[in-house]
Amino acid sequence: MPEGADTLVAGRTAQARIALLESEIAEAQVLIGELRDRDLLKTQFLSNISHDLRTPLTAIITHAEILREGILGDVTPKQRESISVIITGGRQLLDMIAEILMHARDSSEPSTLVESEFSVQELVEQVTTLNESLVARKGLVLERRLSPEVPPVRADRDKVIHVLTNLLGNAFEFTPPGGSVWVSAARSPDDPARFVLLEVGDTGLGIAQDHHELIFREFAQVDSSASRVHHGTGLGLTIARRFVELHGGRIWLESELGRGSRFFFTLPIRPDH
Amino acid sequence: MVRRILLVEDSELISSGLRILLESRGYEVTIAASAAAAIEWSGETAPDLVLLDLTLPDADGLEVIEGLSQRGIRPRAVVALTGHADAATRERCAVAGCDAVLVKPVPVQELLRIVSDKVA
Repeated sequence: MPEGADTLVAGRTAQARIALLESEIAEAQVLIGELRDRDLLKTQFLSNISHDLRTPLTAIITHAEILREGILGDVTPKQRESISVIITGGRQLLDMIAEILMHARDSSEPSTLVESEFSVQELVEQVTTLNESLVARKGLVLERRLSPEVPPVRADRDKVIHVLTNLLGNAFEFTPPGGSVWVSAARSPDDPARFVLLEVGDTGLGIAQDHHELIFREFAQVDSSASRVHHGTGLGLTIARRFVELHGGRIWLESELGRGSRFFFTLPIRPDH
Repeated sequence: MVRRILLVEDSELISSGLRILLESRGYEVTIAASAAAAIEWSGETAPDLVLLDLTLPDADGLEVIEGLSQRGIRPRAVVALTGHADAATRERCAVAGCDAVLVKPVPVQELLRIVSDKVA
């Protein structure tokens, strides 16, 4: 090192160092801004592509249904079976696209609540009734355990339907034929004046303790137990948690491998109840 | 009497299926691929039913209702088609004068049932 270099460094004034740090901070801020822009771009791309994926998929499903219904001519039972697989697969894909779209929208412009006051019993009836044919087809038992004293809630109805549908969908998927799935609702034992506690439980495969937090994370899927073959986006529970927390509620689960799962979430009771 | 349906849908992939479906039940179907094309409805009398996609290339689908109305054309019923029917969308449709909101892809039997109810 040439003599005098040390002297040069040492000779820098404190002000010069501050100036350097400041310019580094400024650079870092520019970089953060650029990264944010890129992240937004990616989210917008995800949102656009999800939207554009729906159109051809909708056409595929509609045309498959036209064939299945025999509108263009008779179909054999084997052909009908095959067409039904196209429709089921198409609808699954559509649900996944809807989840990605919902997640992308929520990341770029966080959801706000469109609140109304409604009866939990009626909502549970509505959502479970929609699933009755699936429950019968899968050979499951679906029970509603609704305490008659559950007060009405003040919440975003669409979002609560989404949470409940998602939890029920998981319960149906991971419970073998002959098993039970139940939905219960009552005042929350922890905070009975302010919250209603809903539960979606099943006698299905269960989830290992060390995955209880993981499954709520973005894109996470639990498949290491080998018994769970999940084919979703890994966004369902992330969105569910986000929606519940937007209401000031909480979502969690109690489960063990092989012992079923119980998912719980709370919703705010309508004020003055 | 043959019932006439104006199908406002910009995607040919979608309109082709709906046309097959509706024509199979004897409806006369006219397809408009934009709001402008829909508003230029050339029939002498109003269509019995308008099936309206909410996302059109040139306008919000609901503007078609207003556009037709300004020309004195009042269909017997308007049914909105959308990929995503949240509470806000349903409210907007109701205010604009839609009689029903259906989520695409509408199961074909449900679509036929609702169309038949609305034009009856």
